[in-house]
Amino acid sequence: MSDFKFAVINPLLHSELRLKIMVALDSLKSADFMYLCQITDSTRGNVSTQITTLKEAGYIDVSKSGGLGRFSRTTCSITSKGREALRAYEEGLRNMFAQEVPAQDEQQVINQ
Amino acid sequence: MTTTEELDIINSTRSEVMGRKELTGENLFLAWGYPTAIVLLLEFAALMIWNEDWCMWLWAGIPLIGTPLMIYFLNEDYERTHHRTLEANVILMMWIFIGFASCVGGAAMGFAGVFPQCYCAYQGLLVGLGCFMTGIILHFRPKIICGIIASALSTVPLFFQGDLWPWQLLVAAVIVTIALIIPGHLFRQYVKQQRYE
Repeated sequence: MSDFKFAVINPLLHSELRLKIMVALDSLKSADFMYLCQITDSTRGNVSTQITTLKEAGYIDVSKSGGLGRFSRTTCSITSKGREALRAYEEGLRNMFAQEVPAQDEQQVINQ
Repeated sequence: MTTTEELDIINSTRSEVMGRKELTGENLFLAWGYPTAIVLLLEFAALMIWNEDWCMWLWAGIPLIGTPLMIYFLNEDYERTHHRTLEANVILMMWIFIGFASCVGGAAMGFAGVFPQCYCAYQGLLVGLGCFMTGIILHFRPKIICGIIASALSTVPLFFQGDLWPWQLLVAAVIVTIALIIPGHLFRQYVKQQRYE
């Protein structure tokens, strides 16, 4: 059981902020930096750091547009690799949850 | 984080993203509808007055006016909402494909020598189907109904052949009004109402 848990925990997604960013991007075609700050309720610095981590892992694509005379806009979108990783992670969590719930019920019965 | 907490984060983030989603693209139908209808009417007038080969170049006015307007409104939407939904992307890709099919089909008809006879029916059918599909994706009934009517009307231009073919342009203008301008205004009103609520 413990081996199974370690196998499904992807360290890149086992962070609240990174998980929120990935889930938000999974539900959209693309989102800009401001949107991700709002949806995760986090500071720009934190979101920026996590975006860099996810980009380096190949989970998201980041593009910058705009330039002279206007603020540049950072747009993020999830990659197929990122989508697959998120699916696998979520499935693993649900499997773990399904195994945890009967174990908890069993413990309650023993306690009673 | 426990398993339950992580699953809660996934579910709550998904719900928040869904809750923040709003309808966009309320000006896109009008951005294409009015230029198309105006160009069709100009084309009709030019053919009635001069009836020369250069009149065919007026068709180029549709993408030349529609494309910059579309890009402008798409950017405006993105600046306001800071995101693009999957549905909006599907609709955009579908209309880009329709525009591409319209150009390629027109060129092929030109080479085959049937351009004036068939093009209006072809374009009307594409626009009607696009309107219908957009309505289905957005669950917006007026677009579905207008798309069906426009698709049905797209057969009418085929009855104007020979010397009567310029009249196809007037029918095409009516089809564009039904498929793009009327549902465009209705959708714009609906989106504004949704935003206000």
